[in-house]
Amino acid sequence: MCEQIKEIYAYREMLRNLVAKELRARYKGSVLGFLWTFFNPLLMLVVYNVVFSFVMRAQIENYAMFLFVALLPWNYLSVSVLQGAASLVQNGALIKKIYFPREVLPLSVVLANLVNYLLSLLILVPALLAFKIKLTAALLAFPVVLLVETMLVTSLALCVSAANVYFRDLEHIVGILMTVWFFLTPVLYPVDIIPAKVKPFFSLNPATPLMEAYRAIFFYGRWPDWASLGYLAAGLAVLLTLSLVFFNRLQRNIAEEI
Amino acid sequence: MAAVEVVNLWKKFRIYHERAISLKERVIFWGRQRAEDFWALKNINLTVPRGTTVGLIGRNGSGKSTLLKVISRILYPTEGEVRVKGRVSTLLELGAGFHPDFTGRENIFLNASILGLTRKEIKERLDDIIAFAELGDFIDNPVRNYSSGMYMRLGFAVAVHVDPEILLIDEVLAVGDLAFQEKCLARIRELQGQGKTIIFVTHAPKQVAELCDLAVWLDRGEIRMQGPAREVARAYAEFMGGAAG
Repeated sequence: MCEQIKEIYAYREMLRNLVAKELRARYKGSVLGFLWTFFNPLLMLVVYNVVFSFVMRAQIENYAMFLFVALLPWNYLSVSVLQGAASLVQNGALIKKIYFPREVLPLSVVLANLVNYLLSLLILVPALLAFKIKLTAALLAFPVVLLVETMLVTSLALCVSAANVYFRDLEHIVGILMTVWFFLTPVLYPVDIIPAKVKPFFSLNPATPLMEAYRAIFFYGRWPDWASLGYLAAGLAVLLTLSLVFFNRLQRNIAEEI
Repeated sequence: MAAVEVVNLWKKFRIYHERAISLKERVIFWGRQRAEDFWALKNINLTVPRGTTVGLIGRNGSGKSTLLKVISRILYPTEGEVRVKGRVSTLLELGAGFHPDFTGRENIFLNASILGLTRKEIKERLDDIIAFAELGDFIDNPVRNYSSGMYMRLGFAVAVHVDPEILLIDEVLAVGDLAFQEKCLARIRELQGQGKTIIFVTHAPKQVAELCDLAVWLDRGEIRMQGPAREVARAYAEFMGGAAG
């Protein structure tokens, strides 16, 4: 596994270039170009705000912002896994022609979406201020939360991308599973409305403590629950290791299966 | 000192007659999926000494490209082992990973990084690559505006400037106009002069005799003959002549 990580590190320039390509090529040819990276979350924010303060009035104060702080990191997770699933199959031509550590492809998807998420913070933070939500020192916890989420996203992207080469339906199954997962994760609703009876099941969901942590640091101005984040990080370290091993096992025959 | 060592290498492909790959198909064709094993390489043993040029020769389907892909780690051996010492660059396709909307210069960075160079290494080679590709001002145009010749020149320019210790070439020399081919050959001679190890696939015995020190003749996945390039090339040419006549 050490070899594997060293190899990926040796190809860091490829990773960097693929991320840049992903970010630039996405909006290439459109008039507004890179600005779309900012318009997407901005328009999302406007729509939610209109809907939830005029049409469907929510009980929670500042519901649009309540939703927004969790929806952005959720999108980072969900889009990365979905795009990650297709990443190896889409680049089949390259895989058949050139050797490079195959991990680079799903990793580049994760990193591109990570950058996108970070850029969307340039919309989120002014919006929070505009809605008079106090930003506190708890924001210092953000890099930690983001790192833990990235461990989860990376593990899933690695596993799904490799498995999808052998079983192409996975891409579509993942699409459905991500929707189900979305509704089972407290993004649209706060964690305390979950009935006590089913709560143990919800605590098994690794996305729950993450969304809770984002909400704590951005929306409530509180420190996240360090204990649950710590357990999650430990679990994810194991998952990430297993994912790398799993990927390495499956990648041997990728070039002939694609 | 061996740059590449192939020990008891076997490579099996599964040939599916009705390749069922989606769940629907898998259910419909349950148990009816017939797969046959096809041994593309059978018990290959090969040692390539550092600094030599080896030609892999053989008919279509004899396994020479498969062997090249196993050495370059694109394919994984079914059995046996491949030991490679030094940086490998593979020329299976010129300009792999080029993005049509990016300029030639941007694609140099992209392509060279896919071949495993770091940013610093690419910057050091940038001027040489641009000079070799002879694209003039086109270097700052998107590559979708390139002619196929320009595209190949840029691809080849990047690949041969990776500065590998071991270069694997798969019949890319068959493309391009005469002048370009000459230039490729000249560059290969230059790399030979620098003591690089080169393995290249061809079915032209003449090229083997001219360029290579050693040659390996593959036939139906097995080594039929290996030794000094001229001898193998002559035997292969005679065999092919006999087979044709």
